Amino acid sequence: MTAERIMDWSGHRWLAFGARLYLAVIFGMAAAYKILHPGSFALDVATYGILPLSLINGFALVVPWVEAVVGVMLLAGFRVRAAALLVSGMMVMFMVALAVALAQGLDMSCGCFASAETGDADPIGWTTMVRDTAWLALAVYVLLADRRPLGLDGLWSARRKT
Amino acid sequence: MAGKDIILTTLRDAVLVVVVSAALALTVNGVREEGIELVASRAYEVFVPCPEPLGEVTPVAPDDPLIGAARTVLVDARGEEEYGQWHHTGSLHIGFDYLEPVPMESVKKLAGSGAAAVVVYGDGDDPDSGREMARELAGRGLRNVYYVEGGAGALKK
Repeated sequence: MTAERIMDWSGHRWLAFGARLYLAVIFGMAAAYKILHPGSFALDVATYGILPLSLINGFALVVPWVEAVVGVMLLAGFRVRAAALLVSGMMVMFMVALAVALAQGLDMSCGCFASAETGDADPIGWTTMVRDTAWLALAVYVLLADRRPLGLDGLWSARRKT
Repeated sequence: MAGKDIILTTLRDAVLVVVVSAALALTVNGVREEGIELVASRAYEVFVPCPEPLGEVTPVAPDDPLIGAARTVLVDARGEEEYGQWHHTGSLHIGFDYLEPVPMESVKKLAGSGAAAVVVYGDGDDPDSGREMARELAGRGLRNVYYVEGGAGALKK
């Protein structure tokens, strides 16, 4: 039962709150660039050479909005588990694409926060992989440990109890 | 809530978020002027340079005395046609190809020339073929490699 006691520790909600704010800012920034420059992001997606042509634009259009919406959800503490699950899923997806590109020795823009086409340097590298792993760890922590999240979920749960 | 219920609720919420986000994305893309087509009608022109080792190079102005110095090798990185139309007096033509490495024999020729510096000029575009070739030469071991800022156009003036 030690694991259960660890997970019940009341401090998790504050640590997870910090992690949520951090991830919300990161995903908000990433989404803003991609939503503003859908064509450039589509080109970055195409450069990875993983998706078929028919799916590239749809992916480039939808993923940034998922990032934006989960960013807002993490910030507001609304459906935190679902938001953390989506962040984790996206991080795994990005890391697989990154690993494929790195294994091929491609020298290209990550497409995470900027694009080669817009002239901003955001090259891929093993540091990108380390960074993404850290963000994945934060998202998984929120998913598993934030059982009484601060924010709308917490308020809703308290209201239902009274 | 039981563990199974939590998992199901979380998955349901996640799917809902994706559906709502997709609806938002398609609506905004449909409304905005610079929206993209939902399915690309032609393949993207993806250009990923090969991971050639690149070195640090220094730009020089077109009127830099280094360009005309006795122990400097001046390299014209432009295409053969451009070189034929005009080239700087005494320049050596080694056409730069973005997709192919600089031939080893050219690199050996430069390395064995006894020159104190190699100055490359290219088309002066963005990216500049002169700068790109200079970086490649530096990455392949040549020292004191420079490129002319503005390329051939600036040199002509």
